[in-house]
Amino acid sequence: MTADRPAARTRLRLAAAAAGLIAAALLPLALGAYHVHVLTVALYYVVLASSWNLLAGYTGLFSLAHHVFAGLGGYTSALLVLDAGWPIPAGVLAGGIFACALGFALGSVTLRLRTLYLALATWAFAESTRVVVSMEYGVTRGDLGLAVPKLFPGAGPAPYYEVFLGCAAAAVAALLWLLRSPIGYRLRAIRDDEGAARAAGVNTVRWKRFAFAVASGAAGAIGAVYGHYIGLLSPVAMKFDEMALIIIMVILGGQRTIAGPIIGAVTVEVVSEALRAYGQIRMVMFALVVLAVMRLYPPGLAGLLRALATRAARTAGVARSAGAGRGVAPPTTNSAS
Amino acid sequence: MDSTLLAQYVLAGLVIGAIYCLMAVGITFIYSVMRMINWAMGEFYMIGGYLQYLLIESWLGPQRWYLAVPLAAGGVALLGMAVQIVLLRPMFTGSLERLDEYATIVTIALTVLFRNLAIVIFGPYQFSPPDYAAPVQLGPLPLNGSRFVAFAGAVVLLGLLAFVVRRTWFGLALRGVAQNRLGAVTAGVDLGRIDMLAFGIGVGLAGAAGALLAPVLLVYPESGALSTVKGFEIIVIGGLGSLPGSIVGGLLLGLVESLGSVLLSPSFRDVYGFGALLLILALRPTGLWGERAREA
Repeated sequence: MTADRPAARTRLRLAAAAAGLIAAALLPLALGAYHVHVLTVALYYVVLASSWNLLAGYTGLFSLAHHVFAGLGGYTSALLVLDAGWPIPAGVLAGGIFACALGFALGSVTLRLRTLYLALATWAFAESTRVVVSMEYGVTRGDLGLAVPKLFPGAGPAPYYEVFLGCAAAAVAALLWLLRSPIGYRLRAIRDDEGAARAAGVNTVRWKRFAFAVASGAAGAIGAVYGHYIGLLSPVAMKFDEMALIIIMVILGGQRTIAGPIIGAVTVEVVSEALRAYGQIRMVMFALVVLAVMRLYPPGLAGLLRALATRAARTAGVARSAGAGRGVAPPTTNSAS
Repeated sequence: MDSTLLAQYVLAGLVIGAIYCLMAVGITFIYSVMRMINWAMGEFYMIGGYLQYLLIESWLGPQRWYLAVPLAAGGVALLGMAVQIVLLRPMFTGSLERLDEYATIVTIALTVLFRNLAIVIFGPYQFSPPDYAAPVQLGPLPLNGSRFVAFAGAVVLLGLLAFVVRRTWFGLALRGVAQNRLGAVTAGVDLGRIDMLAFGIGVGLAGAAGALLAPVLLVYPESGALSTVKGFEIIVIGGLGSLPGSIVGGLLLGLVESLGSVLLSPSFRDVYGFGALLLILALRPTGLWGERAREA
């Protein structure tokens, strides 16, 4: 039972995560270019879904402009690279900083009010930004789309895959670290009961704004990288459907878990590629699944996997300890973190 | 600019503003009673448009559009009540935590569902029933007949709603629930029924707006997107949860858009509302008529 001691357990988990990461990094050797591309896009959504989960899941802030922050990061980087001749990494950084600053500003206006206002204002922000981007033809080339220089010109999807894997791993690690730090406790306290959090001395406006700016910045940075992968930016990616997709991924995978958005993003992206021939029926299906999850099983896929694992461990434990007559620890339910 | 032109733009702004009011009042109505935002409002608007088009094209004919409007709005209201019973009622039975979160996610999922169902069933095409009436002259403003009908319809519906809310027992029950749900229950109000009817009426207003505007703004799967945003901008401008605020906010948004497109640039007409929203949030965060509610 050594694995039950916290330190050993953490070490075990770290080792498992490292092994998983190495295995994932080696995947392009085994798969064709198309499949690698699908996984690359899935990793892009892993970052978006995880950062949105920080907002909606852990802090209780429903940003409905996450996709637009990603798009704006993409445009910022692309325009800096194209018009000002910046190197691509600097452009990506600038994209993230720009989205972060916008998030900070929007948060400053809305977060003093009830959290509903953030959702309302971000939705209006998203639609207005989309209109501006498609109208400012001279700068963004509007609905025609902006051709963006690629990060690795002439290369297949494999190097991009590794970049996105690195970004996703960094984002998830940062999220884990953040949630374990005092800041993470403040954010969760805000979600659970904002009044109580304020009474306990948490500057709720400041930390809500912090979470919103950080998550928006992450979306902006990964959106910039994505632009340099796909090579084309257009206001279509700023439609609400894209935001709905992120929400679907998080809910399906399981809110308020680290694994949930990862599982959800990969599942939704892979399934929707596999069923590409069915067109919009896929989205109808996903919407119905989300309604079913919300109504019947809110823990989502991550919760389901955890429950199954607990049950398996319990039956194994019962079999092992039957002779010794030792009690079995009660199953851990889907814990909040 | 000469004054006739200005008067024309002001009038045009008020006409479109009255129609925005229907959306905003529907959102406010549902928010006041159920304390939730219905993010799928625009999709009920879109469904209203489709119902109107189908009724006119397949059964009633273009002459009897005035019969189709209440039927379309009623159909949307029935759909809304079904949605409320199946998906939203559990919010109030105590089995769920975080009601606002649940309502937000469920109605956003409905947005995706309805939009894509419309694409699957009708394709991405734009439909439009023939104009409802011949062009009219409204003071200095020559007005498209359908626009005038939509304006008149919006005024009639808002008047009807104001009458029901202020002068009937049902309206009293609604106001009671909006003020204090627990108090209303102890006074013998059937909350489940009120919630269902309020949701039905709220989305029915959106459906009516969709039906009235079908010849003007066309019917297509994403037709609800912009009207939802306008509705949200209006309720922030007017104040969340205030019916007079929604009406004033709607007219104001119509004016801002109309004057913005003549004084600044017409291509950004759909952005001015967001500017007004930011201005209100910065200067008077509770909106023009906002309630100073305690946080739940």
